[in-house]
Amino acid sequence: MINAPHSPLLCDIAGKALDAPDKIALVDGTSRVSYGQLVERVEAAALYLQSLGLKPGDRILLSAQKEAQFAYLYLAAHLLGVVNVVVDSASPRERLDYIISVTNPVVMFGNGLDIQGRHCESLDGVPESAVGILTLPHITSDDVADVMFTTGTTGAPKGVILSHANIYGSACNTNGFIGTCSTDVEALALPLSHSFGLGRLRCVLIAGATLVLVNNFANLKTFFNVIDNEGVTGFGMVPAVWQYIKRLSGKRIARFAGQIRYIEIGSAALPIEDKELLMEMFPTTRLCMHYGLTEASRALFIEFHGNRDNLNAIGRPASRLVEVCVRDENGLPVADGVDGEICVRGNMVTKSYFLPEDNKDAFFGEWFRTGDWGHRDNDGDFYLTGRKKELINIGGEKVSPVTIEEAIKSLGIPDCACTSVPDPNGVLGEVPKAYLVRGNSDLDFDTIKRQLAQLLPPNEIPVVWEWVDIIPRTSSGKIQRLKLNNNICHN
Amino acid sequence: MIETKVKEIIARVLNVDIALITDELSSGEIPQWDSVGNLAIISTIEQELDVEFPLEDLFDLTSVQSIVEEVKSLQS
Repeated sequence: MINAPHSPLLCDIAGKALDAPDKIALVDGTSRVSYGQLVERVEAAALYLQSLGLKPGDRILLSAQKEAQFAYLYLAAHLLGVVNVVVDSASPRERLDYIISVTNPVVMFGNGLDIQGRHCESLDGVPESAVGILTLPHITSDDVADVMFTTGTTGAPKGVILSHANIYGSACNTNGFIGTCSTDVEALALPLSHSFGLGRLRCVLIAGATLVLVNNFANLKTFFNVIDNEGVTGFGMVPAVWQYIKRLSGKRIARFAGQIRYIEIGSAALPIEDKELLMEMFPTTRLCMHYGLTEASRALFIEFHGNRDNLNAIGRPASRLVEVCVRDENGLPVADGVDGEICVRGNMVTKSYFLPEDNKDAFFGEWFRTGDWGHRDNDGDFYLTGRKKELINIGGEKVSPVTIEEAIKSLGIPDCACTSVPDPNGVLGEVPKAYLVRGNSDLDFDTIKRQLAQLLPPNEIPVVWEWVDIIPRTSSGKIQRLKLNNNICHN
Repeated sequence: MIETKVKEIIARVLNVDIALITDELSSGEIPQWDSVGNLAIISTIEQELDVEFPLEDLFDLTSVQSIVEEVKSLQS
């Protein structure tokens, strides 16, 4: 039986396996894995990792495939004190190459993953039973469990170090607010490569509930069948998925309102009319929206029904172990009602980025600086008013404009800049707009779009295009994106 | 002809090998065909093949075959 005092997450799961070994933990297609089996398979996977020579502190690259084997390996690494670097194997090659070069994983796991010509172990090759003696590490809950890569403002991804205590803290805060419990059955269609989706896996398992793995939300017929057949009581979604559900299925999902106890929403803003529509369609469901970042997961929460007169707030701290405050540019707290940078400290907040140079301007002491601007009102509710970081939030996926600009310039466009604009189709929240200086290029927008399809994922290709005379810059050469959106770019 | 065009568009939008785009392939079965990819497929087919999918039909367009049949019926 698992004995891993450094990992409270594993201790909780092992406790569930002792209390209710036959309770189903994971449903992966036709395969149903009980808590007892889960713990056995995590131990078998740990023996396998150990046989590969992995030691505490070593890193493995783990492709976030929606399979039970992912969970075995992910938790097995925690057991051994091996650090998970979780990636989406469908990410652009450049991003994966960068993550590998920075983290230098000892072993990489992913089906069909071929990165830099290096060998990848298949997730399917992980044995589900094994005999042997595990050498458990002498580490603490403050040691590194995961490194999750988030989008950096300069284009290069930033590795976020999360300790065993951080990931457990976030799961406890979240369950405490939402109320997920052992009788729940959750459908997980969010990607596991993101903090939100991976966090849901941890929340469900420490609650002793059942997690049903669903590839994604693309096929809503499949998703609805899972809700029906598995008796699903909760799920998580990003606002773009809600727009997708509305557009493709109208109000069909409301027929499940009686069985859905909770929905967690996050990663981007949701218009108030959608919050009201959700409340109308799910009158008794806890509709919980979080504000957070990979670095400070689920810092604030708001439940819509309990705040029907205050739906434009982003919430209050997720638990008594989370503190949120607003600070000015010098790092000093500002009074209620005054805008400043939203800063967070608490049990789930990262202590450092993977590369020390990324920590520059990331903290005021032990307070993590979110880069978002807002204020707190006299009642303690927080509100967002702007964003300091220039990332584009495409349906919950944060994308650096620099990545898109570099791709466009590689096609022979002499200068360009990207900003975020509201999605004209009203689905993705924000989409990229590209401002291009023509120079001697004879490319037109359609040609550029076609060529970009080879360089960028579909959602990162700008939706709105404009030729401009100049890209406004500061004296130090930094693009002045606000001026672009204010049309100060023509001679 | 329509079948080939639809498969070409799906492969191009999802940036995957066209050999993956079989008649039986359903949305969500490959990681690239997620909800964002599905919306991009719908809008690209509408633009390039000059059709407009009725809103009430979108829910049922869950496979390559169903999309091909819908385009054929809209163009006839």
